[in-house]
Amino acid sequence: MISVLVTGATTTVGERFVRSLVADTRVRHVLAVAREPPEQALPFSHGNRLTYLSVDLARSRHVRELLFGPARDLGVEVVVHLGQHRSGFGKGRKVHAANVEALRSILDLADRHPTIRRLVLKSYAVAYKVSLELPILVREDHPLNLSPKAPQYIRDRVEADLTACARMGLSSFETVVLRCAEALGPGTGSQIYDYLDAPVAFRPLGFDPMVNVATVEDMVVALEKATHGSGEGVFNIPGYDTLPLSEATRKWGTPSIPLPGGFLRPAYNLRHRLTGSEFEYGLNRNRLHIGLVLDGTRAREVLGYVPRHPIDWPIGGPVADPALDDSPD
Amino acid sequence: MPFPPRIARAITTALGGRSVRERAERLYYRDEGHGYDRFGLHPDFVALGDVIGKPGYEWYFRVESHGAENIPKTGPGILAANHSGTLPMDGAMLWVDVLRNTDPPRCSRPLADYFVPSLPFVSTLFARCGVVGGSRGNAQALLEAGELLMIFPEGVPGIGKPFAQRYQLQHWTKGHCELAIRHRAPVIPIGIVGAEEQMPQIARIPVKGPVPYIPIPATLVPLPTKYHIHYGEPIPLHEEFSPDDADDPEIVRNAAARVKAAVQALLERGLSERKGIFR
Repeated sequence: MISVLVTGATTTVGERFVRSLVADTRVRHVLAVAREPPEQALPFSHGNRLTYLSVDLARSRHVRELLFGPARDLGVEVVVHLGQHRSGFGKGRKVHAANVEALRSILDLADRHPTIRRLVLKSYAVAYKVSLELPILVREDHPLNLSPKAPQYIRDRVEADLTACARMGLSSFETVVLRCAEALGPGTGSQIYDYLDAPVAFRPLGFDPMVNVATVEDMVVALEKATHGSGEGVFNIPGYDTLPLSEATRKWGTPSIPLPGGFLRPAYNLRHRLTGSEFEYGLNRNRLHIGLVLDGTRAREVLGYVPRHPIDWPIGGPVADPALDDSPD
Repeated sequence: MPFPPRIARAITTALGGRSVRERAERLYYRDEGHGYDRFGLHPDFVALGDVIGKPGYEWYFRVESHGAENIPKTGPGILAANHSGTLPMDGAMLWVDVLRNTDPPRCSRPLADYFVPSLPFVSTLFARCGVVGGSRGNAQALLEAGELLMIFPEGVPGIGKPFAQRYQLQHWTKGHCELAIRHRAPVIPIGIVGAEEQMPQIARIPVKGPVPYIPIPATLVPLPTKYHIHYGEPIPLHEEFSPDDADDPEIVRNAAARVKAAVQALLERGLSERKGIFR
C-alpha cells in the first residue's frame, strides 16, 4: 500500500488519474493538489482516502510546505507531477515558473524527503525534435527540440523533461519520465485536439503527415503502471491510433482547407485573434508537414504498457488494431 | 493524400483490373488499425502506384526481370542497386518489379534522400506507396519489422552521373552494409540495365532549396530504353558477421566493396546479354 501525491489533479488527465487511484486497493491515500479552490475541484466522492489541497506550485515555499507538511504526514512515497501550463500561447516568467521551477523545487526537496522514493513526470512528445533528417518513428534517444527559437511552450517542456532526466541515478528517489502522445479531449492541452475540434482545419497543401494520438484512459493506465513500477528511465507513451492527419480530420468530422505553407501562420493567427482558438501554428509547423509517431517498445517491455483504448471517433467510431490484439498485457 | 483510400481503390479497380486489386489485398504490411502502417503506407495506394507504374513498366520501358527468385519471400532484406537516369524511374520500375515478382506480394521500402519528404504531394504519394525518409532510425525500424529496404548506395551522385560515366558505379556508400550486419538482413545486389541511357544529362545547375540541383538533360522526356533488372544471389552478411561487427569500419568497408562488385558484375552481365539499348 502506497500513498501518492498528484499535482495538476484538476486537469482532465489528473482528475481521471486521481479517480483511478482512489479506486485502487494498492493505494492507501491520495494527496491531490492543484491551484483551484477545493469547492471547484474533483467533483466525485472519495471517502477518507483522498485529500485535496489548493497549492500554487510555482511558489517554492508552497512546495516546501506541501512536501514537508501533509505529504510527509501522509507518508507519500510516489509523486506524480502532471502540473503544466496548458495553453500554447502561455508566455512569461509565471508560466515558466509553473512549467519548470515547480518541478525543480519538487526534485530538490524530494531528494531529502524522508518518505518519497519515486517521482513520475508526465512529459510530452512535443519535446522531440521533428526534422527531415530524423526518423518519423521516435524512440527515447531521439533528439529533443533544443532550438532557442522554439516557442516557450516547447522550451519549457524540454527543460522540465531534461531537469528530471538529469536527476536519474543521482537522487535518493527513482525518476520516471513519460513522454506521452497527445490525449484527445477537452482540457488536456492537446494541440491536435484543438486542431481537430475547430470548425475548420487549415492543413498544409500537399502534406499529410502521420500522427499518433491517445485517449485519456490510456494515459491513466500509463501513469498507473509508472506509479506502481520499479526502476527509472524515460519511456514513450504512444496512443492506440496511428493515422494520417487527413484521416483524423475526416474521422473527427472537421472540414479541412488546404493552404500553401506561407498562408498557414497568418490564417491561424487570425483565427486565434477572432475566436480564441488554442491551436498555435508555431508549435506544430513541423508536425503538420513531417509527422511524428512514438515508438512504445520500451514502455511495453519495461512498464508493461500497451495502448488498449482506441479513440471513439465521431465518424466511424473506434477501430480494432489486428497488430495489437494478441499483444500481452 | 488529398483524397481518401476509397478513391484510390476506385481508380485502381477501374484502371488496373482484378490482378492489381488482388495483389494489394495480399500485400504483407503491418496495419496500425486505420489501414496504414506507421510510416503511412496504405495498400490501396500501393495498388494505385502499381497502376500508375504499369504504362512505364509494361509498355514504355518494357521491363524484363531476371533472378527475382533471389528476393527473400519473408523477413528483412536490403535491395542494393545502381542508380541513374536523371529522373528516378529506376526506383519506380524496381518497386513495381518487386511487387509483381514476389508471392505473397512484398512492397519494397525505398529510402529516399532527405529532401524528398519536403516536396508537397510527392512526399505524400511516396509515403503511401512505402517510401521513407533516409534516416538511420527509419531504416532500423523497417528492418526490425521484417521489411524489404530499397537502397541506392550511389545516392544523388548516381542519378546525376554524366552520360559518359554510365554503368560506372559512383562513390558507393556503406550504410546499407552496416544496417545489414547490425539488423540481420541479407543484401540482394541488383543491376538495373537500361536506365543509365534513358535521359542523358549534359549539365546541371546547383540550387539552394529542396532539391540539390536542376538537371539539364539532352531529352525532355526519358527515352524508351528497355529495362533489364538483374537480381543477384543474396549476400549473407548477417550470417558471416555478428551484430557487433557493424561497428568495425574495416568489415563494413569490405562488405560494401563486395556488394558494389556484385552489382557491377550484374551490370556487365546485363550489358553483354542485351541486344541493344531499346531491345
